[in-house]
Amino acid sequence: MLLRFVLGPLLFLMFFTVYGIYAWQIPLLPFEQYEAVDSSTLPKIYAGLGVIFSFLGVIAQYIKYRDEGDDHAPLGLKKENIKTIALVILLMVIYSALLEPLGFIVSTLLFLIAGFWVMGERRGRILLLSSVPMVVIFWLVMTQLLDIYLAAGTFWS
Amino acid sequence: MFDALMVGVDAAFQWNNLMYVVVGCLVGTFIGMLPGLGPITAIALMIPITYSIGPSSGMILMAGVYYGAIFGGSTSSILINAPGVAGTVASSFDGYPMARKGMAGKALAIAAWSSFTGGTIGAVMLMVAAPTLAEVSLSFYSGDYVMLMFVGLTAIAAFSSNGEFLKAMMMTIFGLALSTIGIDPSSGTERFTFGQPDLLDGLSFLLIAMATFALSEALMNVIKPDKQKDEDMGKGNLGSFKLTKGDVKEIAPSVGRSSVLGFLIGVLPGAGATIASFMAYAAERNLAPAKYKKDFGEGAKRGLAAPEAANNAACTGSFVPLLTLGIPGSGTTAIMLGALIAYGLQPGPLLMQDNPDVFWSVIVSMYFGNIVLLILNLPLIPYLAKVLVLPKPLLTIFILFFSLIGVYLVSFNTFDLFMMIGFACIALLLRLLTFPMAPLLLGFILGDMIERNFRRAMLISDGSMNWLWERPLTLTIFIIAIVVLFVPLFGFMKGRLNKTTATPD
Repeated sequence: MLLRFVLGPLLFLMFFTVYGIYAWQIPLLPFEQYEAVDSSTLPKIYAGLGVIFSFLGVIAQYIKYRDEGDDHAPLGLKKENIKTIALVILLMVIYSALLEPLGFIVSTLLFLIAGFWVMGERRGRILLLSSVPMVVIFWLVMTQLLDIYLAAGTFWS
Repeated sequence: MFDALMVGVDAAFQWNNLMYVVVGCLVGTFIGMLPGLGPITAIALMIPITYSIGPSSGMILMAGVYYGAIFGGSTSSILINAPGVAGTVASSFDGYPMARKGMAGKALAIAAWSSFTGGTIGAVMLMVAAPTLAEVSLSFYSGDYVMLMFVGLTAIAAFSSNGEFLKAMMMTIFGLALSTIGIDPSSGTERFTFGQPDLLDGLSFLLIAMATFALSEALMNVIKPDKQKDEDMGKGNLGSFKLTKGDVKEIAPSVGRSSVLGFLIGVLPGAGATIASFMAYAAERNLAPAKYKKDFGEGAKRGLAAPEAANNAACTGSFVPLLTLGIPGSGTTAIMLGALIAYGLQPGPLLMQDNPDVFWSVIVSMYFGNIVLLILNLPLIPYLAKVLVLPKPLLTIFILFFSLIGVYLVSFNTFDLFMMIGFACIALLLRLLTFPMAPLLLGFILGDMIERNFRRAMLISDGSMNWLWERPLTLTIFIIAIVVLFVPLFGFMKGRLNKTTATPD
């Protein structure tokens, strides 16, 4: 499928186009308007170079597709792996959101146990043995040994 | 210089710094062994800890982690053919076949001794080269720095991506573009912040490093698991670790040559351990007598010793531009540069004068670090290798946890965590589309320095581009950058032309 080959450069082409549009809208301060280089100069250069290289990238990838066909197409993922990765990413988002309200110890324990579960570990003993000591040791090292603050949890205070 | 060196010796031999070398080497070896995790991740994970121990100790710890990770990467290359680090890919060409023949112990010993020799020769050369270059670089102007960074960026794009030069260039420019987010340091103008106060300071380098390496690599292992390597992990007996006189005689010349070559390549911005190891391997294959040549790829001792010596010497060499010019030659040294700046130090030619303790203690600690790798890590390898049999699900989740908490411990801002997850998803997609990550990180870290020096050069030359050709040094570096940029393009076009002429319709 041609799209798989040109997807990357196409995404970059879109990104650099939007980046360029915003670069041209960077508000300049009055004294900057007479300077040879202002806040928007390098973003404009990067946008221009980005558009050129990603356009060349689209052409190069098209040529590659024409020469090699679908055999060397990137991506090609299994459905179950996509489901797992979606769950892992969701877990990371939830962990980030709960870290401050629930505190380091509770949120990390939940994250590790849920993470091991999503990755296919079902044995309760392993789930606990690989998460509880880890969290406790990490917490002790950080707070007691290195004197680094870890969120205690706004929910409990 | 001698007095300054003594300051460094004093600092390096304080008991706590000696301990940091040992800890750094062990942690680096441990993390470097894990397939998918390299020195960048290992050092990034260390940053929250280094903030609390001061610049000299912090840099010593990070340097220890760096060469420990390269050493650890060799172990997984040899044992399971899964290099944890790009710089040790070449070690797997002959190291893994040796392990398959039941000589894993010997292969690990060759790797350790070659790494030790490469690292030690590199440290001696660093001691000589760094002060000399620091003196020379005092005469560098802003324009020279811009051009040097330009060479670094184009070189890493040209060499880092197996012919996918355009992809590497897109990633480099993407990194440069990301570096423009936040308040412009020269004028105070907001750029690409979209009214979001968390973006005013720009994106943190740690966030980008963690998202593009640690997180996305761990996620990559979930979405594209390598079953074969998982099954190979930790199998079998390692065999004897002893080297015979014949082995030493066979590898000694290769190790010597490769150490010098590795150091010189390591000094070049953009090159680094990966290219050094491949070039040393290729050079040894070409130089080998006919009776040894046929063994390359089948378990040749020289084929393992050469890249090992070269990659460690290159790691040491990469400290030359970092410590003397303040320009990182690789993603790993870029992270160290970020850490030095976070300490309030200005890496560059004045570092040697202003902070001799940091400058020299890092160099002196490298001797000790190499000894630690040899006498402590080598006997521990059979035990450290057990990490390779850790169940993948546990390992992946631990890596995700350490990456998230590492960033949180530096900023204490959950917004950074959401940003990091977002960037990790983008990085994952780009990895799946076979885009290289190192150019992005280097572009991001050099972006700010390029902009500052470019603006200064333009200001000094009153808005004209004359600075590009007024000084022979600037012009020479500029020409080198252009050559580095166009050689891969010419190669691509020549390849196309040959293909067209070879296959007439």
